Amino acid sequence: MSDFHNRSQVSARRSDYVWQYEYYEDEEPVSFEGLKAHRYSIVIGFWVGLAVFVIFMFFVLTLLTKTGAPHQENPDSGEKRHRPEGCLVDINGHQDDNDKAFSRPLLEGSRSYFNFYISEEDQAHEKQKPEDKMSSAKDKAERLQRSAEIDEMDEDVEESGGQHQPLSGLIEKSKSDRDRECAFLSHFSIPNFVNLDPGSTLGEDDLLYEPSVILERQSQAHNGHCDTH
Amino acid sequence: LSPISSLPSSTHTSCPEVKVPFPVFFTVGIVSLAENLLVVVAVMRSRNLHSPMYCFMCSLAAFNTIASVTKTWENLMIVLADAGHLERRGPPETDLDDVMDSLLCMSFVGSISSFLAIAVDRYITIFHALRYHNIMTMQRTAAILGLIWTLCAVLAVLMVKFFNFKFIMICFIVFFVVSLAAICFLYVYMFMMARIHAKNIAALPGGGRDKSQHQRRWGSNMRGALTLTILFGAFVVCWAPFFVHLVIITVCPMNPYCECYRSLFELHVVLMMSHALIDPAIYAFRMAELRHTFRKMLFCSDWKFCL
Repeated sequence: MSDFHNRSQVSARRSDYVWQYEYYEDEEPVSFEGLKAHRYSIVIGFWVGLAVFVIFMFFVLTLLTKTGAPHQENPDSGEKRHRPEGCLVDINGHQDDNDKAFSRPLLEGSRSYFNFYISEEDQAHEKQKPEDKMSSAKDKAERLQRSAEIDEMDEDVEESGGQHQPLSGLIEKSKSDRDRECAFLSHFSIPNFVNLDPGSTLGEDDLLYEPSVILERQSQAHNGHCDTH
Repeated sequence: LSPISSLPSSTHTSCPEVKVPFPVFFTVGIVSLAENLLVVVAVMRSRNLHSPMYCFMCSLAAFNTIASVTKTWENLMIVLADAGHLERRGPPETDLDDVMDSLLCMSFVGSISSFLAIAVDRYITIFHALRYHNIMTMQRTAAILGLIWTLCAVLAVLMVKFFNFKFIMICFIVFFVVSLAAICFLYVYMFMMARIHAKNIAALPGGGRDKSQHQRRWGSNMRGALTLTILFGAFVVCWAPFFVHLVIITVCPMNPYCECYRSLFELHVVLMMSHALIDPAIYAFRMAELRHTFRKMLFCSDWKFCL
């Protein structure tokens, strides 16, 4: 990197591309007389600008955490949230009758899976599960674990949830696992944007504005469960 | 080989070149080499870590390793040349100088590409979660990494051979700015969407009414903002001074103010090297799986059974 400067001097001063090394002693020195501002003004200006930029970015990020989309303040907004139709168990005791996500025909088929998954979450006891349901729930849990792992924004998620057996916290319903799950979900705030049908052609916008149903139910279920602790 | 020589002592009030003592260079170089080599070895040897995300981190660590090795080697040569054992302008030394400059360029372009790849990978993981395994297969990861490495090698050779053309320098700078903007955008977008949806979940009829939960969420949000600031701030603080240096030698080689900026060249190089030092702390050591592998590697008594 050091001879860059030598070469730049060559290119700045000569029109022919004679490639030889030159040092600054060979050329006329830069005159420092008659400087209006301080010598290091560019240096100081650069570092001040950089510091302002970093601090500004931090404040913008913290501001983003405080404000959100305005419609979330509306207490009725819960009804606009997407719920699976015919949900088996609702731990808070109210049934939702409409959801946009599930009105699409290509999502019909996965509804039974979600009903199963949700009811499994809501039960406190072990349930007899068919193998394929286990594997698909396992898949979801793996993705949750992975997204939890990659999410360094919530590092304590890794400590509490993202271990070598991520599935145990979500599939096996032993009490200790539920406790760990409570800790997991209470800190986990970056949800997975789960596309309900892997082959669907939902556009990007649909994914962005529909929160994950699994995590909603989980947080709901575990809010009910964890609050009792 | 030689760094910027200081301006001749004369009646002019000049900006003396700031020299960084060699032990600082060596320490930074060797520590960053050790850290990054550890990451590379851990990812390569452990079966758990053969996933796209860890491959990109391994590539980043490999580029940082190359940068550390090259810089340390160059410093060694400078020490030897100062001591008189090496000829500064002899042909083998200039060739070696070219090789080292190429390697440094390569590692520089490579680290930036790796950052970009990591950001895109995280973006896909969050926003296309169900299709992630189809989008980011190991074959595609290998292809992407191969592309990055060949691109960096080619660019490095071109950069050093044709450095006289200002066009190359401008390309370099544009590449840096574009990558910076892309990485910034990706992370801020992920962050924004995550916060919005965290609020969505909290706005559910069952959720969010608990005050302690609200405070916990606020705490984790602050931590998220801090992490992102550190990630991005470290990148900008460590790389930008050197880049502004490149801009300055392109734009105003003879201006006295620019001259004073250029006199801090060695400090800027130390900053760049220290980014290779803190990269593992920001990216790799935050993954629980990787930390677990390290513990197994370093503290396991029987190597054969550990990995």
